[in-house]
Amino acid sequence: MSPENLVIRVQDLEKIFPGNVRAVDSVSFDVREGEIFGFLGPNGAGKTTTISILNTLMLPTGGGAEVLGYDVVNDAAKVRKGIGLVPQDLTSDEELTGRENVELQAKLYHMPSSESVKRIDELLLLVGLTDSQHRIVKTYSGGMKKRLEFATGLVHRPRILFLDEPTLGLDVQTRTSIWEHIRKLKSETNMTIFLTTHYLEEADGLCDRIAIIDHGKIIALDTPDGLKKAVGGDVIEIEVAECGMDIVEMIKAIPRVSLLEGKCTGGKARVKVPDSNAALPLILEGFWNKKIPVLNVSVKKPSLDQAFLEYTGRELRDEDKGNGNKLASPAPRRGRFRRK
Amino acid sequence: MISETFALVVRDLKRWYRTPGQIILVFTTPLMWLLLFGQAFNIGKLAQGAPGVDIREVFGGATDYFSFMAVGQTTFIILFGSLFSGVSLIWDRKTGFLAKLQVAPIPRASIPISRMASTVVKALLQAVVVLVLAALFVFIPGLSGLKFSSDFGVLDALGIALFLILLGLSLAALFVALGLIVKSEETLFGLINLLNFPLMFTSSALIPIALMPDWLRAVANYNPLTFVVDGMRQLVFHTSIGAQYSVAADFLGISVFAALMVSLGAVLARKALLRT
Repeated sequence: MSPENLVIRVQDLEKIFPGNVRAVDSVSFDVREGEIFGFLGPNGAGKTTTISILNTLMLPTGGGAEVLGYDVVNDAAKVRKGIGLVPQDLTSDEELTGRENVELQAKLYHMPSSESVKRIDELLLLVGLTDSQHRIVKTYSGGMKKRLEFATGLVHRPRILFLDEPTLGLDVQTRTSIWEHIRKLKSETNMTIFLTTHYLEEADGLCDRIAIIDHGKIIALDTPDGLKKAVGGDVIEIEVAECGMDIVEMIKAIPRVSLLEGKCTGGKARVKVPDSNAALPLILEGFWNKKIPVLNVSVKKPSLDQAFLEYTGRELRDEDKGNGNKLASPAPRRGRFRRK
Repeated sequence: MISETFALVVRDLKRWYRTPGQIILVFTTPLMWLLLFGQAFNIGKLAQGAPGVDIREVFGGATDYFSFMAVGQTTFIILFGSLFSGVSLIWDRKTGFLAKLQVAPIPRASIPISRMASTVVKALLQAVVVLVLAALFVFIPGLSGLKFSSDFGVLDALGIALFLILLGLSLAALFVALGLIVKSEETLFGLINLLNFPLMFTSSALIPIALMPDWLRAVANYNPLTFVVDGMRQLVFHTSIGAQYSVAADFLGISVFAALMVSLGAVLARKALLRT
């Protein structure tokens, strides 16, 4: 990846709030042009603080960041021109109509009205608010307000769109429609999207790459698949009627099957392999060759939930139950992973 | 700078005129002042018939108390409007609207300037409507109205507008800046109350300076509201009888005050909008 294609470059970024609260603790990462980059972490992990620094709303206390090649501290005005923000809260003016909100934004970004009229029509159509564009925002549902935020954030054709918790507090239906909008945006415009979320499903389904952030530090950065793979592969459970030997030992003996972990209770074996698609036929073939009838087979692929748990040592929850030790050493529970 | 500021002023005004309840309320209070205070508290009657007393000397050129206070109370409309100008900014901060403005590529100054401008426009419109209503009181049986001089002309009207605009700008400059600094309405309401009553009652808006005790008179002579009402009364009644200062001196006084407050507001607002 050549540096020209990096639209966000963050180096050792640090934000310490008064009272020595390290919200962002020497964070480094790059975002490539056209990708959906996810910042995944529990509430209070430092996601919004990072976004606020990249959006020129806050100053870092250490390190630096470039957005679109401009320094967020010294070239804030240039950064602002190229970015759009869909904040966590509903920030539209409730007393104005939906369309007026987007129009105001267009004016703040100095779009000539000859251009903005058409653009606003397009956007309202995209987010499905054409019919209700002349209604006062107060009368909108939560989902409509959120979709309006999207239209507002997009009106000036930003090169990078920041989405801070885009589906927080929305019902399942609205969440799904927001995800569709985000995918559509990516496929139609090649816009870079930086999103924060604490929904694993969201990060998994949308992002090209995900950084897991906890206690202000990035503890893993990879593609969703890469993160899942790092959890240590797929779990295969095999149940047999009876056999006179240890099934796990038997599976171990099968050529070309590499076993990460395995245990056996009675007639049931639970083994972990890097890739179940390749291993399962071989294992079954092994059983077949030994003439041991297999009663039941199940395969569990790792989820991002597990990955998160592996990296942070705790479930992704709203409340912050971590302790200070984790900040110093976010050691994975089983110690099998190298930090990236 | 101008186009963004204008867009933000339009936004503020839309919010205002689309809330009819708010509009009715802003006229209720001044009308209460006029009806209950202006009509009932007619201290002019006390002096009526006293030999050798030109009541206009006491009432800043007005021939009755109602006319005297009707001009004075317009400054309260400006005062209230300006003092509350910062409250909406606290709300804009809470809803995140302010953050959205701060992410936009607009000069930071357009945020406070637009709020000051919309505040002054709103307050000035209210003051003009209330002045006209006060004059129309004469048609209500049993009430007296605000008596404009027969020589009252366009230039006088513009002069009045200028006085009110300067007063509005000075107070809005400070309170818009405070709205950016203070994070809770409670604190701001506290500050508003702290300034509200002293400013009102140490001026010659409701009480003739001639009737004040010496210590209060000393304060009232330099109250910015006094400059404004003193100048406005001379323009409405077309006489310098009962005036504290000349119109030019009043104008100078409120201009200096405005310059000081706008500078203070600019320093505070700039500081409040700096990134931390």
